[in-house]
Amino acid sequence: MKRAFNLRYSLRRFPFWSWLWFILGALYFILPLYATLDFSLRMKRGVISLQAYSSAFSDPQFFQTFLFSNLMALATIFISLVLIVPTCYWIRLRVPAARRIVEFITLMPFVIPAIILVFGLIAIYGAPINIPFTSINLLAPLTESDLGTNLLLAAGYIVLAMPYMYRAVDTGLQAMNMRALTEAAQSLGANWFTIMIRVIFPNLRSALLSGALLTFAIVVGEVTISSFLNRPAFGPYLWLLGQHRSYEPAALAFFSFLLTWAAMGLIQLVSGGQGQVSGAH
Amino acid sequence: MTYLSISNVSKAFSNTPVVSDFNLEVDKGEFVSFLGPSGCGKTTTLRMIAGFELPTSGVIRLENEDITYKAPNQRNVGMVFQSYALFPNLTLAQNIGFGLDVRKTPKDMIQVRVNEMLALIHLEEFGKRYPHQLSGGQQQRVALARALAIRPRVLLLDEPLSALDAKIRVELRSEIRNIQQKLGITTIYVTHDQEEALSISDRVVVMGLGHIEQVGTPNEIYNYPKTEFVASFVGQLNLVPVAVLNASQGLVRIGSQTVQTQQISEKVGSDHPSLAVRPEELHLGHAEDANNLHGKVDTITYLGAIVRIRLDIDGHFVSMDLFNERKLALPKVGEPIEIHFPVHACWLL
Repeated sequence: MKRAFNLRYSLRRFPFWSWLWFILGALYFILPLYATLDFSLRMKRGVISLQAYSSAFSDPQFFQTFLFSNLMALATIFISLVLIVPTCYWIRLRVPAARRIVEFITLMPFVIPAIILVFGLIAIYGAPINIPFTSINLLAPLTESDLGTNLLLAAGYIVLAMPYMYRAVDTGLQAMNMRALTEAAQSLGANWFTIMIRVIFPNLRSALLSGALLTFAIVVGEVTISSFLNRPAFGPYLWLLGQHRSYEPAALAFFSFLLTWAAMGLIQLVSGGQGQVSGAH
Repeated sequence: MTYLSISNVSKAFSNTPVVSDFNLEVDKGEFVSFLGPSGCGKTTTLRMIAGFELPTSGVIRLENEDITYKAPNQRNVGMVFQSYALFPNLTLAQNIGFGLDVRKTPKDMIQVRVNEMLALIHLEEFGKRYPHQLSGGQQQRVALARALAIRPRVLLLDEPLSALDAKIRVELRSEIRNIQQKLGITTIYVTHDQEEALSISDRVVVMGLGHIEQVGTPNEIYNYPKTEFVASFVGQLNLVPVAVLNASQGLVRIGSQTVQTQQISEKVGSDHPSLAVRPEELHLGHAEDANNLHGKVDTITYLGAIVRIRLDIDGHFVSMDLFNERKLALPKVGEPIEIHFPVHACWLL
C-alpha cells in the first residue's frame, strides 16, 4: 500500500511533459546529425569506415581553402571587434538616441542579399577611385591584387556578420552596467584606451566570444562573396565538392559540426569562470 | 582658506534647469552631505564635481585650481557609486590597486597600499576573491577602499548605502564616518535619507528643485529650519494653519484656542501663516508656562521606539510622538485630552 503510494507520488513529481518536449526537441536536432554521420561512414560498401574523412582530408585543396577561410575569419573577427565594440560602447554611453538608427543599419545585411553587396563592392573598388572632378588617383583598383581582393572579401564578411556581432556586443554591454564601470575607471584616472582594454573588453568576454563564433560560422560557410571575388575559400570548395562527390561533403559537414561544438565548449570554458557583473545581485 | 569652492554653478539638460545658482564652500577635511528628494539636483551637482557632467555656467575650484572643465580622470577625485561599480573581472586586490596601476605606481608600493586599504575595511583575507563572492555591504566597503587608495583630493559618495538593507546601512555609515575622520579626507556625500545625512555630516546642504534651501550643521538644519521645505523635509513637522492675534506679542489662534509663539517677524505675516511644531515637542497633560491645547485622540500608531498619537484640535490634525515606555499610559481613541508644548518649540512659517 505504502509502496504504491510512493510510486504514485514519484510519478506525480516526475516532470513528464518537460522530458517529452526535451526528447522530441533533441531528436529533431540529433537525428539529421546522426544520419549525416552514418552516411559519411558508409563510403565503403557494407563496411563502417573513415574512408570519406581520409579522402576529404587528403585533398590538398581542403587544407588550402580551410586555412584561407580560417585566416579570413580571424581577420574579420578582429576588424569587427575593433570597429563594433567602441562604436556600440560610445552609442550606449554618449548618444543613446542613435541606437535605433544604428540597429536599423546593422539589420541591412538581412535585407540586402550578398550578391548585391559583392557586385557593389566590385563595381566601386574594381575601378580606380579618383578625387571627384579631377584625374588624381586616390585608390588603385582593389580587385587587381590578392591583398586588395582579400580586403574586399573581409569587408563583405564584416557586413554579413555585423547583425550578429553588433547584437552580441550590445547585449553584453547592457548586462554589465557599463556607465558606472566607465565612470569608476575614469575617477580612478583611467583614459579611454585603458577603459576599453582593461574594463570593457574583459567584461564583454563571453559576448565577444558568442559574436566571434557566429562570425566564424558565417565566414567559413560563405559562398557568394568569395565565389564572385574568386578567392580560394572553404565555402565554394564545399559547394563544388557537393556537386560531384557524395560522401566527402557529408564527412566535412559533420566535421564542421564538431568544430562548432568545440567552439561552444570553449565559450563555456572561458565564460564559466567570469565574475558576475556589478549590480546583478 | 576654502578647499573646494562651487560658485554660481548651474546645469540644464535640454533647456530644463536641474541645478540653479549653486554656491558652496567646503573646508579641508569637512564632511558635507547633499540632502534632498529625488530630482532635486544633488547627484548632478556631485557629478559636476567629479567631472562627469559639465556645468552650463559657474566655476568649480579645488585647492584654488579651476577644475570646471577638467577631464574626470585628471581631477584625482575618488568616487563611490550606489551600484558599487566594482570591476567584475578583477579580484578585490586588483580592484583596489586599479587606480594606482593606472598611475604606473611600482608593484610593491601598490601591494603595500592595497594591504593598507584591505586592513582599513577589515577585509584582509578577501584580497583574492572576486566582487560577486562578497555581500553588498562588503562590496561597498571595497568600492570605498578603491576610491581611497589613490589618495584623492576629495571623496564623493553618491547614495552609497541605498542598495543595502537597513542594519548594514547603519553599520556602514558609521564606518564611513570613522574612516573619513581617521584620514581627514574632504568628503561630499549625496543622500535622500535625512537620518543618514544628519548622523554623519559636519554640514548638511538641503536641496529642493535644483537650488540650495539651507546649509547648516545637523543641529541647525533640524532645529532651526529656514524654509518650510527644510522644516517639512527634515524630520516630522506639524504645520497648523493659524490666525495671528498679536504679532508683537507672538499670539496666534488655532480654532478657538490661543497659542504663544516667539515674536512674529514681518516676513511671516503672510495671508495664511502656519504654526510649525515637531511631534516630539508635544507632551501629554497640562503644564504651567507652556502652550496648552485641548483636543481629541484620532489614531494611535506604534512605530517601535515611538508611539505616534494623531490629535484632532478644533478640526486640525496634529501628530505627537511619545517614547514607547513599558509603563506609558496611553489615552484611548476618541478620548478628549490636553497636551502642552514650550513656547520656544514652535514658530510661524
